Amino acid sequence: MIISEKICNSISVITLQGTLDASTASTLKTFKPALAASSPIVIDFSRVDFLDSSGLGALVGIAREKRSKGGEVTLACLNNKVRKVFEITQAYKLFDIFDDVEAATLHAEKKQGHL
Amino acid sequence: MKTLIIVKEKDYEWLGPVFPGIHPLLLPICNKPFAEFLIDFSVLAGSEAIRFVSDGPLGDVEQYCENGNRWGIAISYGSILENDDLQMIIEKNQRYCVEEKVLIVSGYVFIQYDRQHDYKTLLASLPDGEFLSSNHGSLRLRGARPAVHETIDRVPLSLTGLDSLDVYYRLSMEILSYASSPYVLPGYNNEEYCHIGRNVVISKSSEIRKPVMIGNNVQIFEGSILGPGAVIGSNVIIDRECTVTDSIVLENTYIGEHLEVQNRIAAGNILIDPESGISIVMDDPHLLAGIKKTGSGKKVFQSFVHSIAALFLIALLLIPFLLLSPILILQGKWKRSKNSYYTSGARKPVTLTTTTIERKGILSTLAGAISLDRFTLLFSVFAGKLALIGSLPVVARHAGSMDLNTIESWYHAGVFSYAEAEDWPVNGGDTAIVERYFAVHGNPFLDISMTIKAFFNRIHETKTL
Repeated sequence: MIISEKICNSISVITLQGTLDASTASTLKTFKPALAASSPIVIDFSRVDFLDSSGLGALVGIAREKRSKGGEVTLACLNNKVRKVFEITQAYKLFDIFDDVEAATLHAEKKQGHL
Repeated sequence: MKTLIIVKEKDYEWLGPVFPGIHPLLLPICNKPFAEFLIDFSVLAGSEAIRFVSDGPLGDVEQYCENGNRWGIAISYGSILENDDLQMIIEKNQRYCVEEKVLIVSGYVFIQYDRQHDYKTLLASLPDGEFLSSNHGSLRLRGARPAVHETIDRVPLSLTGLDSLDVYYRLSMEILSYASSPYVLPGYNNEEYCHIGRNVVISKSSEIRKPVMIGNNVQIFEGSILGPGAVIGSNVIIDRECTVTDSIVLENTYIGEHLEVQNRIAAGNILIDPESGISIVMDDPHLLAGIKKTGSGKKVFQSFVHSIAALFLIALLLIPFLLLSPILILQGKWKRSKNSYYTSGARKPVTLTTTTIERKGILSTLAGAISLDRFTLLFSVFAGKLALIGSLPVVARHAGSMDLNTIESWYHAGVFSYAEAEDWPVNGGDTAIVERYFAVHGNPFLDISMTIKAFFNRIHETKTL
Protein backbone atom coordinates (compact mmCIF):
# COMPACT_ATOMS: atom_id res chain seq x y z
CA MET A 1 0.00 0.00 0.00
CA ILE A 2 1.24 3.47 -0.86
CA ILE A 3 0.58 6.20 1.69
CA SER A 4 1.13 9.81 0.74
CA GLU A 5 0.44 13.06 2.50
CA LYS A 6 -0.49 16.47 1.16
CA ILE A 7 -1.79 19.64 2.75
CA CYS A 8 -5.17 20.88 1.59
CA ASN A 9 -6.84 23.89 3.22
CA SER A 10 -4.17 23.64 5.93
CA ILE A 11 -5.33 20.14 6.80
CA SER A 12 -3.20 17.05 6.37
CA VAL A 13 -4.75 14.75 3.74
CA ILE A 14 -3.47 11.19 3.80
CA THR A 15 -4.09 9.40 0.54
CA LEU A 16 -4.09 5.63 0.63
CA GLN A 17 -3.52 3.61 -2.48
CA GLY A 18 -3.95 -0.14 -2.76
CA THR A 19 -5.08 -2.63 -0.17
CA LEU A 20 -5.62 -1.90 3.50
CA ASP A 21 -5.48 -5.31 5.18
CA ALA A 22 -3.57 -7.21 7.86
CA SER A 23 -0.31 -6.90 5.95
CA THR A 24 -0.53 -3.15 5.45
CA ALA A 25 -2.52 -1.98 8.49
CA SER A 26 0.65 -1.67 10.58
CA THR A 27 2.16 0.68 7.96
CA LEU A 28 -0.79 3.01 8.41
CA LYS A 29 -0.70 2.69 12.18
CA THR A 30 2.91 3.82 12.27
CA PHE A 31 2.52 6.58 9.66
CA LYS A 32 3.60 9.66 11.58
CA PRO A 33 1.12 12.30 10.34
CA ALA A 34 -1.67 9.91 11.18
CA LEU A 35 -0.59 9.82 14.78
CA ALA A 36 0.56 13.41 15.28
CA ALA A 37 -1.06 14.96 18.29
CA SER A 38 -4.42 16.71 18.07
CA SER A 39 -4.11 17.83 14.44
CA PRO A 40 -7.10 16.75 12.36
CA ILE A 41 -6.54 14.56 9.34
CA VAL A 42 -8.53 13.58 6.30
CA ILE A 43 -8.01 10.13 4.86
CA ASP A 44 -8.69 9.89 1.14
CA PHE A 45 -9.98 6.42 0.21
CA SER A 46 -10.54 7.02 -3.49
CA ARG A 47 -7.69 4.69 -4.44
CA VAL A 48 -8.25 1.98 -1.84
CA ASP A 49 -9.50 -1.15 -3.54
CA PHE A 50 -9.82 -3.43 -0.53
CA LEU A 51 -10.36 -3.04 3.19
CA ASP A 52 -10.61 -5.84 5.75
CA SER A 53 -11.15 -6.08 9.49
CA SER A 54 -7.48 -5.42 10.27
CA GLY A 55 -7.49 -2.29 8.12
CA LEU A 56 -10.66 -1.19 9.80
CA GLY A 57 -9.05 -1.91 13.15
CA ALA A 58 -6.14 0.38 12.23
CA LEU A 59 -8.57 3.16 11.29
CA VAL A 60 -10.61 2.79 14.45
CA GLY A 61 -7.39 2.71 16.50
CA ILE A 62 -6.13 5.92 14.86
CA ALA A 63 -9.50 7.61 15.33
CA ARG A 64 -9.66 6.65 19.00
CA GLU A 65 -6.12 7.88 19.62
CA LYS A 66 -6.73 11.13 17.75
CA ARG A 67 -9.92 11.79 19.68
CA SER A 68 -8.19 11.19 22.99
CA LYS A 69 -5.76 13.95 21.99
CA GLY A 70 -8.51 16.26 20.80
CA GLY A 71 -8.04 15.56 17.10
CA GLU A 72 -10.39 14.14 14.52
CA VAL A 73 -10.22 11.73 11.60
CA THR A 74 -12.45 12.49 8.61
CA LEU A 75 -12.85 10.05 5.77
CA ALA A 76 -13.41 10.96 2.14
CA CYS A 77 -14.29 9.32 -1.16
CA LEU A 78 -15.14 5.82 -0.06
CA ASN A 79 -15.72 3.63 -3.08
CA ASN A 80 -18.47 1.02 -3.06
CA LYS A 81 -16.28 -1.85 -1.83
CA VAL A 82 -14.91 0.12 1.09
CA ARG A 83 -18.26 1.70 1.90
CA LYS A 84 -19.84 -1.75 2.12
CA VAL A 85 -17.33 -2.76 4.81
CA PHE A 86 -18.25 0.35 6.79
CA GLU A 87 -21.90 -0.46 6.18
CA ILE A 88 -21.89 -4.06 7.39
CA THR A 89 -19.75 -3.29 10.41
CA GLN A 90 -21.59 -0.05 11.18
CA ALA A 91 -18.19 1.61 11.54
CA TYR A 92 -19.72 4.61 9.75
CA LYS A 93 -21.12 5.62 13.14
CA LEU A 94 -17.59 6.51 14.25
CA PHE A 95 -16.54 8.78 11.39
CA ASP A 96 -17.58 11.81 9.41
CA ILE A 97 -17.65 10.51 5.86
CA PHE A 98 -17.59 12.87 2.87
CA ASP A 99 -17.83 12.13 -0.83
CA ASP A 100 -15.36 14.88 -1.64
CA VAL A 101 -11.85 15.52 -0.27
CA GLU A 102 -12.10 19.28 -0.39
CA ALA A 103 -15.41 19.32 1.47
CA ALA A 104 -13.85 16.99 4.04
CA THR A 105 -10.85 19.26 4.57
CA LEU A 106 -13.09 22.32 4.91
CA HIS A 107 -15.09 20.46 7.52
CA ALA A 108 -11.95 19.39 9.38
CA GLU A 109 -10.67 22.94 9.25
CA LYS A 110 -13.94 24.32 10.58
CA LYS A 111 -13.97 21.80 13.36
CA GLN A 112 -10.48 22.70 14.33
CA GLY A 113 -11.47 26.34 14.51
CA HIS A 114 -9.24 27.55 11.69
CA LEU A 115 -12.01 29.51 10.00
CA MET B 1 -32.07 16.56 -11.50
CA LYS B 2 -31.01 14.37 -8.60
CA THR B 3 -32.75 13.28 -5.43
CA LEU B 4 -31.25 13.05 -1.98
CA ILE B 5 -33.32 10.99 0.45
CA ILE B 6 -32.40 11.57 4.10
CA VAL B 7 -33.80 9.20 6.70
CA LYS B 8 -32.58 9.17 10.28
CA GLU B 9 -32.92 6.33 12.75
CA LYS B 10 -34.81 8.49 15.23
CA ASP B 11 -37.53 9.07 12.61
CA TYR B 12 -38.42 5.41 12.50
CA GLU B 13 -37.36 4.08 15.88
CA TRP B 14 -40.97 3.09 16.67
CA LEU B 15 -40.84 0.52 13.86
CA GLY B 16 -38.02 -1.68 15.12
CA PRO B 17 -39.89 -3.32 18.01
CA VAL B 18 -43.06 -3.70 15.91
CA PHE B 19 -41.57 -5.27 12.81
CA PRO B 20 -38.14 -6.58 13.77
CA GLY B 21 -36.09 -7.62 10.79
CA ILE B 22 -37.82 -5.28 8.33
CA HIS B 23 -35.77 -2.28 7.27
CA PRO B 24 -38.00 0.81 7.57
CA LEU B 25 -37.26 1.80 3.98
CA LEU B 26 -38.41 -1.64 2.87
CA LEU B 27 -41.58 -1.64 4.96
CA PRO B 28 -44.24 -2.99 2.60
CA ILE B 29 -47.09 -0.58 1.95
CA CYS B 30 -49.64 -2.53 -0.05
CA ASN B 31 -46.95 -5.09 -0.84
CA LYS B 32 -44.64 -2.45 -2.26
CA PRO B 33 -41.54 -1.47 -0.27
CA PHE B 34 -41.66 2.11 0.98
CA ALA B 35 -38.40 2.95 -0.81
CA GLU B 36 -40.03 2.11 -4.15
CA PHE B 37 -42.67 4.80 -3.63
CA LEU B 38 -39.87 7.29 -3.03
CA ILE B 39 -38.04 6.10 -6.13
CA ASP B 40 -41.20 6.30 -8.23
CA PHE B 41 -41.84 9.86 -7.15
CA SER B 42 -38.23 10.84 -7.79
CA VAL B 43 -38.45 9.43 -11.29
CA LEU B 44 -41.74 11.24 -11.89
CA ALA B 45 -40.06 14.42 -10.68
CA GLY B 46 -37.41 13.97 -13.35
CA SER B 47 -34.54 12.64 -11.26
CA GLU B 48 -31.82 10.65 -12.95
CA ALA B 49 -30.00 9.76 -9.75
CA ILE B 50 -31.04 9.03 -6.19
CA ARG B 51 -28.90 8.83 -3.09
CA PHE B 52 -30.18 7.35 0.14
CA VAL B 53 -28.38 8.70 3.19
CA SER B 54 -28.94 7.58 6.73
CA ASP B 55 -27.31 7.38 10.12
CA GLY B 56 -28.53 3.80 10.30
CA PRO B 57 -27.80 0.72 8.23
CA LEU B 58 -28.66 0.77 4.53
CA GLY B 59 -27.35 -2.67 3.61
CA ASP B 60 -30.81 -4.22 3.14
CA VAL B 61 -31.93 -1.27 1.04
CA GLU B 62 -28.82 -1.58 -1.10
CA GLN B 63 -29.40 -5.30 -1.50
CA TYR B 64 -32.93 -4.61 -2.70
CA CYS B 65 -32.44 -1.51 -4.85
CA GLU B 66 -28.86 -2.27 -5.98
CA ASN B 67 -27.59 0.40 -8.36
CA GLY B 68 -31.04 1.37 -9.59
CA ASN B 69 -30.83 -0.29 -13.01
CA ARG B 70 -34.31 -1.69 -12.48
CA TRP B 71 -35.74 1.82 -12.54
CA GLY B 72 -33.32 3.20 -15.13
CA ILE B 73 -31.67 5.53 -12.64
CA ALA B 74 -28.43 5.56 -10.67
CA ILE B 75 -28.90 4.80 -6.98
CA SER B 76 -26.10 5.40 -4.49
CA TYR B 77 -25.84 5.33 -0.71
CA GLY B 78 -24.18 7.44 1.94
CA SER B 79 -23.67 7.57 5.67
CA ILE B 80 -24.24 10.46 8.01
CA LEU B 81 -24.05 10.90 11.74
CA GLU B 82 -27.01 11.18 14.08
CA ASN B 83 -26.48 14.88 14.84
CA ASP B 84 -25.76 16.05 11.30
CA ASP B 85 -28.00 18.89 10.20
CA LEU B 86 -29.11 19.47 6.62
CA GLN B 87 -26.16 21.74 5.83
CA MET B 88 -23.71 19.12 7.07
CA ILE B 89 -25.47 16.37 5.11
CA ILE B 90 -25.20 18.44 1.94
CA GLU B 91 -21.52 19.08 2.65
CA LYS B 92 -20.96 15.36 3.13
CA ASN B 93 -22.57 14.77 -0.25
CA GLN B 94 -20.93 17.76 -1.89
CA ARG B 95 -19.81 15.96 -5.01
CA TYR B 96 -23.27 14.52 -5.54
CA CYS B 97 -25.07 17.80 -4.93
CA VAL B 98 -22.71 20.29 -6.50
CA GLU B 99 -23.64 20.44 -10.15
CA GLU B 100 -27.32 19.77 -10.54
CA LYS B 101 -30.61 20.68 -9.04
CA VAL B 102 -31.32 18.41 -6.10
CA LEU B 103 -34.68 17.39 -4.67
CA ILE B 104 -34.15 16.74 -0.97
CA VAL B 105 -36.59 14.44 0.77
CA SER B 106 -36.00 14.43 4.50
CA GLY B 107 -37.77 12.47 7.17
CA TYR B 108 -39.67 9.21 7.28
CA VAL B 109 -42.55 10.57 5.26
CA PHE B 110 -44.80 9.07 2.65
CA ILE B 111 -45.22 11.30 -0.40
CA GLN B 112 -48.77 11.19 -1.65
CA TYR B 113 -48.74 11.87 -5.37
CA ASP B 114 -50.58 10.84 -8.49
CA ARG B 115 -48.63 9.33 -11.33
CA GLN B 116 -51.04 10.88 -13.84
CA HIS B 117 -49.66 14.35 -13.07
CA ASP B 118 -46.59 16.13 -14.35
CA TYR B 119 -44.28 16.66 -11.40
CA LYS B 120 -41.27 17.28 -13.62
CA THR B 121 -42.69 20.56 -14.88
CA LEU B 122 -43.89 21.51 -11.44
CA LEU B 123 -40.49 21.03 -9.84
CA ALA B 124 -38.76 22.80 -12.71
CA SER B 125 -40.86 25.84 -11.97
CA LEU B 126 -40.21 25.99 -8.25
CA PRO B 127 -37.42 28.07 -6.72
CA ASP B 128 -34.81 26.97 -4.18
CA GLY B 129 -35.98 26.04 -0.72
CA GLU B 130 -38.61 24.06 1.07
CA PHE B 131 -41.84 23.69 -0.87
CA LEU B 132 -43.69 21.08 1.15
CA SER B 133 -43.42 20.15 4.77
CA SER B 134 -45.12 18.28 7.55
CA ASN B 135 -44.28 17.67 11.19
CA HIS B 136 -42.21 14.67 10.20
CA GLY B 137 -40.31 15.78 7.14
CA SER B 138 -40.10 17.98 4.12
CA LEU B 139 -39.42 18.30 0.41
CA ARG B 140 -37.04 21.00 -0.73
CA LEU B 141 -35.10 21.98 -3.79
CA ARG B 142 -31.49 23.02 -3.92
CA GLY B 143 -29.63 24.49 -6.84
CA ALA B 144 -32.82 25.43 -8.71
CA ARG B 145 -32.74 28.49 -10.90
CA PRO B 146 -35.20 31.20 -10.02
CA ALA B 147 -38.02 30.54 -12.42
CA VAL B 148 -41.71 31.03 -12.83
CA HIS B 149 -43.23 30.54 -9.41
CA GLU B 150 -46.05 28.09 -9.60
CA THR B 151 -48.24 27.03 -6.76
CA ILE B 152 -48.29 23.39 -5.94
CA ASP B 153 -52.02 23.45 -5.35
CA ARG B 154 -52.71 22.37 -8.91
CA VAL B 155 -51.31 18.91 -8.46
CA PRO B 156 -51.89 16.41 -5.69
CA LEU B 157 -48.86 16.38 -3.47
CA SER B 158 -48.80 15.95 0.28
CA LEU B 159 -46.72 14.34 2.99
CA THR B 160 -47.79 11.82 5.57
CA GLY B 161 -45.40 11.22 8.43
CA LEU B 162 -45.10 7.50 9.07
CA ASP B 163 -44.87 7.84 12.80
CA SER B 164 -47.16 5.16 14.15
CA LEU B 165 -48.67 1.81 13.38
CA ASP B 166 -52.07 3.38 13.05
CA VAL B 167 -50.87 5.76 10.32
CA TYR B 168 -49.20 2.86 8.52
CA TYR B 169 -52.38 0.79 8.67
CA ARG B 170 -54.67 3.61 7.54
CA LEU B 171 -52.32 4.57 4.70
CA SER B 172 -52.22 0.97 3.45
CA MET B 173 -56.00 0.69 3.56
CA GLU B 174 -56.37 4.05 1.82
CA ILE B 175 -54.05 3.06 -1.02
CA LEU B 176 -55.84 -0.28 -1.33
CA SER B 177 -59.18 1.43 -1.73
CA TYR B 178 -58.17 3.73 -4.58
CA ALA B 179 -59.96 2.52 -7.69
CA SER B 180 -57.46 3.70 -10.26
CA SER B 181 -54.44 3.80 -8.08
CA PRO B 182 -52.27 6.91 -8.27
CA TYR B 183 -49.35 4.62 -7.53
CA VAL B 184 -47.89 1.73 -9.46
CA LEU B 185 -48.75 -1.29 -7.33
CA PRO B 186 -47.39 -4.79 -7.69
CA GLY B 187 -49.44 -7.72 -8.96
CA TYR B 188 -51.75 -8.70 -11.81
CA ASN B 189 -54.63 -6.24 -12.00
CA ASN B 190 -57.22 -6.92 -14.68
CA GLU B 191 -60.01 -5.40 -12.64
CA GLU B 192 -60.14 -2.51 -10.27
CA TYR B 193 -59.57 -2.97 -6.56
CA CYS B 194 -57.85 -6.31 -7.07
CA HIS B 195 -54.12 -7.04 -7.36
CA ILE B 196 -52.87 -10.61 -7.43
CA GLY B 197 -49.21 -11.63 -7.46
CA ARG B 198 -47.41 -14.55 -9.10
CA ASN B 199 -47.82 -18.18 -8.10
CA VAL B 200 -51.00 -17.67 -6.10
CA VAL B 201 -53.13 -20.75 -5.46
CA ILE B 202 -56.73 -19.92 -4.66
CA SER B 203 -59.07 -22.72 -3.72
CA LYS B 204 -62.37 -22.87 -5.64
CA SER B 205 -64.44 -22.60 -2.50
CA SER B 206 -62.60 -19.58 -1.16
CA GLU B 207 -63.98 -16.12 -1.67
CA ILE B 208 -62.19 -12.91 -2.66
CA ARG B 209 -63.99 -9.69 -1.79
CA LYS B 210 -62.57 -6.49 -3.24
CA PRO B 211 -60.57 -4.40 -2.49
CA VAL B 212 -57.85 -6.94 -2.01
CA MET B 213 -54.18 -7.27 -2.69
CA ILE B 214 -52.33 -10.58 -2.71
CA GLY B 215 -48.57 -11.01 -2.97
CA ASN B 216 -46.49 -13.74 -4.62
CA ASN B 217 -46.42 -17.42 -3.60
CA VAL B 218 -49.63 -17.31 -1.61
CA GLN B 219 -51.85 -20.31 -0.87
CA ILE B 220 -55.47 -19.74 0.03
CA PHE B 221 -57.20 -22.89 1.19
CA GLU B 222 -60.85 -23.90 0.86
CA GLY B 223 -63.58 -21.91 2.54
CA SER B 224 -61.42 -18.86 3.25
CA ILE B 225 -62.75 -15.37 2.80
CA LEU B 226 -60.30 -12.60 1.90
CA GLY B 227 -61.46 -9.02 2.04
CA PRO B 228 -62.86 -6.58 1.77
CA GLY B 229 -59.73 -4.68 2.66
CA ALA B 230 -57.13 -7.40 2.82
CA VAL B 231 -53.46 -6.93 2.01
CA ILE B 232 -51.76 -10.32 1.90
CA GLY B 233 -47.98 -10.28 1.60
CA SER B 234 -45.80 -12.77 -0.24
CA ASN B 235 -45.14 -16.33 0.98
CA VAL B 236 -48.32 -16.46 3.02
CA ILE B 237 -50.55 -19.44 3.71
CA ILE B 238 -54.20 -18.81 4.56
CA ASP B 239 -55.54 -22.09 5.88
CA ARG B 240 -59.11 -23.45 5.68
CA GLU B 241 -62.16 -21.48 6.71
CA CYS B 242 -60.22 -18.30 7.57
CA THR B 243 -61.56 -14.81 7.29
CA VAL B 244 -59.23 -11.87 6.70
CA THR B 245 -60.93 -8.47 6.50
CA ASP B 246 -59.55 -4.94 6.80
CA SER B 247 -56.22 -6.44 7.73
CA ILE B 248 -52.63 -6.61 6.62
CA VAL B 249 -50.86 -9.96 6.61
CA LEU B 250 -47.14 -9.40 6.20
CA GLU B 251 -44.94 -11.82 4.28
CA ASN B 252 -43.90 -15.25 5.59
CA THR B 253 -46.98 -15.64 7.75
CA TYR B 254 -49.20 -18.66 8.29
CA ILE B 255 -52.83 -18.02 9.23
CA GLY B 256 -54.23 -21.15 10.85
CA GLU B 257 -57.59 -22.83 10.25
CA HIS B 258 -60.83 -21.09 11.26
CA LEU B 259 -59.03 -17.94 12.32
CA GLU B 260 -60.84 -14.66 11.91
CA VAL B 261 -58.51 -11.71 11.40
CA GLN B 262 -60.28 -8.38 11.42
CA ASN B 263 -58.73 -4.89 11.66
CA ARG B 264 -55.38 -6.39 12.52
CA ILE B 265 -51.83 -6.64 11.25
CA ALA B 266 -50.40 -10.15 11.27
CA ALA B 267 -46.63 -10.48 11.06
CA GLY B 268 -45.20 -13.95 11.63
CA ASN B 269 -46.68 -15.15 14.89
CA ILE B 270 -47.55 -11.63 16.06
CA LEU B 271 -51.03 -10.19 15.81
CA ILE B 272 -51.20 -6.42 16.24
CA ASP B 273 -54.09 -4.07 16.83
CA PRO B 274 -53.03 -1.03 14.75
CA GLU B 275 -55.13 1.43 16.69
CA SER B 276 -53.82 0.68 20.16
CA GLY B 277 -50.52 -0.85 19.09
CA ILE B 278 -51.13 -3.80 21.40
CA SER B 279 -49.66 -7.00 20.03
CA ILE B 280 -50.18 -10.64 20.91
CA VAL B 281 -47.49 -13.23 20.31
CA MET B 282 -49.10 -16.53 19.36
CA ASP B 283 -47.40 -19.60 20.74
CA ASP B 284 -49.69 -22.03 18.96
CA PRO B 285 -48.23 -22.65 15.49
CA HIS B 286 -51.62 -23.95 14.32
CA LEU B 287 -53.17 -20.51 14.83
CA LEU B 288 -50.58 -18.05 13.62
CA ALA B 289 -46.96 -18.65 12.82
CA GLY B 290 -43.99 -17.29 10.95
CA ILE B 291 -42.89 -19.26 7.91
CA LYS B 292 -39.18 -19.79 8.24
CA LYS B 293 -36.98 -19.65 5.20
CA THR B 294 -34.87 -22.78 4.86
CA GLY B 295 -31.28 -22.08 5.85
CA SER B 296 -28.28 -23.14 3.86
CA GLY B 297 -26.01 -26.04 4.77
CA LYS B 298 -23.27 -23.53 5.57
CA LYS B 299 -24.28 -23.35 9.22
CA VAL B 300 -24.29 -27.11 9.62
CA PHE B 301 -20.87 -27.35 8.01
CA GLN B 302 -19.60 -24.50 10.14
CA SER B 303 -20.73 -26.13 13.39
CA PHE B 304 -19.19 -29.43 12.23
CA VAL B 305 -15.82 -27.76 11.58
CA HIS B 306 -16.06 -25.90 14.90
CA SER B 307 -16.77 -29.16 16.73
CA ILE B 308 -13.74 -30.87 15.16
CA ALA B 309 -11.53 -27.93 16.10
CA ALA B 310 -12.98 -27.87 19.62
CA LEU B 311 -12.21 -31.58 19.96
CA PHE B 312 -8.62 -30.91 18.92
CA LEU B 313 -8.30 -28.11 21.49
CA ILE B 314 -9.79 -30.32 24.21
CA ALA B 315 -7.22 -33.03 23.41
CA LEU B 316 -4.47 -30.40 23.47
CA LEU B 317 -5.51 -28.80 26.77
CA LEU B 318 -6.77 -31.85 28.66
CA ILE B 319 -3.52 -32.74 30.42
CA PRO B 320 -2.61 -29.14 31.38
CA PHE B 321 -6.19 -28.73 32.62
CA LEU B 322 -6.04 -31.88 34.76
CA LEU B 323 -2.68 -30.88 36.20
CA LEU B 324 -3.17 -27.16 36.76
CA SER B 325 -6.81 -26.71 37.66
CA PRO B 326 -6.73 -28.64 41.00
CA ILE B 327 -3.66 -26.65 42.12
CA LEU B 328 -5.21 -23.31 41.16
CA ILE B 329 -8.48 -24.25 42.84
CA LEU B 330 -6.56 -24.99 46.03
CA GLN B 331 -4.70 -21.67 45.71
CA GLY B 332 -8.04 -19.88 45.25
CA LYS B 333 -7.00 -18.50 41.86
CA TRP B 334 -9.48 -20.58 39.87
CA LYS B 335 -12.93 -19.10 40.22
CA ARG B 336 -16.01 -20.55 38.58
CA SER B 337 -19.35 -18.90 38.17
CA LYS B 338 -22.66 -19.81 36.57
CA ASN B 339 -24.44 -17.27 34.47
CA SER B 340 -27.14 -17.06 31.83
CA TYR B 341 -25.88 -15.99 28.43
CA TYR B 342 -27.53 -15.24 25.15
CA THR B 343 -26.50 -17.42 22.24
CA SER B 344 -27.74 -17.07 18.71
CA GLY B 345 -29.29 -20.51 18.53
CA ALA B 346 -31.69 -20.48 21.46
CA ARG B 347 -34.49 -18.02 22.13
CA LYS B 348 -33.97 -18.61 25.82
CA PRO B 349 -30.63 -17.83 27.42
CA VAL B 350 -28.41 -20.78 28.23
CA THR B 351 -26.59 -21.31 31.48
CA LEU B 352 -22.84 -21.57 31.13
CA THR B 353 -20.14 -22.10 33.71
CA THR B 354 -17.34 -19.65 33.14
CA THR B 355 -13.92 -19.64 34.76
CA THR B 356 -11.80 -16.72 35.86
CA ILE B 357 -8.13 -17.22 36.55
CA GLU B 358 -6.31 -14.74 38.69
CA ARG B 359 -3.02 -14.25 36.86
CA LYS B 360 -0.65 -14.04 39.80
CA GLY B 361 2.21 -16.48 39.93
CA ILE B 362 3.73 -18.76 37.30
CA LEU B 363 1.10 -21.51 37.23
CA SER B 364 -1.92 -19.24 36.98
CA THR B 365 -0.21 -17.09 34.33
CA LEU B 366 0.56 -20.23 32.35
CA ALA B 367 -3.02 -21.50 32.75
CA GLY B 368 -4.39 -18.15 31.57
CA ALA B 369 -1.92 -17.95 28.68
CA ILE B 370 -3.01 -21.29 27.27
CA SER B 371 -6.70 -20.38 27.72
CA LEU B 372 -7.52 -23.03 30.31
CA ASP B 373 -10.30 -20.74 31.50
CA ARG B 374 -12.08 -21.53 28.23
CA PHE B 375 -11.53 -25.29 28.50
CA THR B 376 -14.96 -26.20 29.90
CA LEU B 377 -16.69 -23.92 27.42
CA LEU B 378 -15.26 -25.99 24.57
CA PHE B 379 -17.77 -28.73 25.45
CA SER B 380 -20.60 -26.29 24.74
CA VAL B 381 -19.48 -26.21 21.12
CA PHE B 382 -20.60 -29.86 20.75
CA ALA B 383 -23.95 -29.06 22.31
CA GLY B 384 -24.41 -26.28 19.78
CA LYS B 385 -24.67 -23.71 22.56
CA LEU B 386 -21.56 -21.83 21.49
CA ALA B 387 -19.50 -21.42 18.37
CA LEU B 388 -15.78 -21.99 18.66
CA ILE B 389 -15.22 -18.37 17.67
CA GLY B 390 -17.80 -15.63 17.47
CA SER B 391 -19.01 -12.81 19.66
CA LEU B 392 -18.17 -12.52 23.33
CA PRO B 393 -21.11 -14.10 25.19
CA VAL B 394 -23.54 -11.45 26.42
CA VAL B 395 -24.92 -11.96 29.91
CA ALA B 396 -28.70 -12.30 29.87
CA ARG B 397 -30.21 -9.39 31.73
CA HIS B 398 -33.42 -11.14 32.63
CA ALA B 399 -33.73 -14.83 33.19
CA GLY B 400 -36.50 -16.17 31.00
CA SER B 401 -37.26 -15.11 27.50
CA MET B 402 -34.68 -13.51 25.30
CA ASP B 403 -34.81 -9.79 24.82
CA LEU B 404 -34.53 -9.84 21.05
CA ASN B 405 -34.03 -6.10 20.78
CA THR B 406 -30.71 -6.24 22.58
CA ILE B 407 -29.30 -9.02 20.44
CA GLU B 408 -28.52 -8.28 16.84
CA SER B 409 -28.84 -10.76 14.02
CA TRP B 410 -25.10 -11.16 13.57
CA TYR B 411 -24.59 -12.14 17.21
CA HIS B 412 -23.34 -15.68 17.75
CA ALA B 413 -21.61 -16.30 21.06
CA GLY B 414 -18.30 -18.12 20.87
CA VAL B 415 -15.69 -19.64 23.18
CA PHE B 416 -13.19 -17.23 21.62
CA SER B 417 -14.09 -13.93 20.05
CA TYR B 418 -13.11 -12.30 16.79
CA ALA B 419 -12.16 -9.22 18.81
CA GLU B 420 -9.53 -11.32 20.62
CA ALA B 421 -8.26 -12.64 17.31
CA GLU B 422 -7.92 -9.18 15.83
CA ASP B 423 -6.56 -7.81 19.11
CA TRP B 424 -9.34 -5.27 19.51
CA PRO B 425 -10.05 -4.10 23.05
CA VAL B 426 -12.63 -6.70 24.09
CA ASN B 427 -14.43 -4.48 26.55
CA GLY B 428 -15.01 -1.57 24.20
CA GLY B 429 -18.06 -0.98 22.05
CA ASP B 430 -15.82 -1.26 19.00
CA THR B 431 -15.80 -5.05 19.21
CA ALA B 432 -19.19 -5.14 17.51
CA ILE B 433 -17.50 -3.72 14.39
CA VAL B 434 -15.16 -6.67 13.98
CA GLU B 435 -17.87 -9.18 14.94
CA ARG B 436 -20.21 -7.79 12.29
CA TYR B 437 -17.38 -7.98 9.76
CA PHE B 438 -16.85 -11.69 10.35
CA ALA B 439 -20.57 -12.40 10.53
CA VAL B 440 -20.59 -11.49 6.85
CA HIS B 441 -17.11 -12.45 5.68
CA GLY B 442 -16.46 -15.42 7.93
CA ASN B 443 -16.21 -19.02 6.79
CA PRO B 444 -15.41 -22.23 8.69
CA PHE B 445 -11.77 -22.37 7.63
CA LEU B 446 -11.17 -18.70 8.30
CA ASP B 447 -12.70 -19.35 11.73
CA ILE B 448 -9.99 -21.93 12.43
CA SER B 449 -7.21 -19.49 11.63
CA MET B 450 -8.95 -16.77 13.65
CA THR B 451 -9.24 -19.17 16.60
CA ILE B 452 -5.50 -19.84 16.42
CA LYS B 453 -4.87 -16.08 16.32
CA ALA B 454 -7.16 -15.53 19.31
CA PHE B 455 -5.46 -18.39 21.18
CA PHE B 456 -2.02 -16.88 20.68
CA ASN B 457 -3.18 -13.30 21.34
CA ARG B 458 -4.53 -14.42 24.71
CA ILE B 459 -1.01 -15.36 25.81
CA HIS B 460 -0.28 -11.64 26.17
CA GLU B 461 -3.49 -10.89 28.00
CA THR B 462 -3.02 -9.71 31.54
CA LYS B 463 -6.38 -10.86 32.80
CA THR B 464 -8.96 -13.45 31.97
CA LEU B 465 -12.64 -12.88 31.49
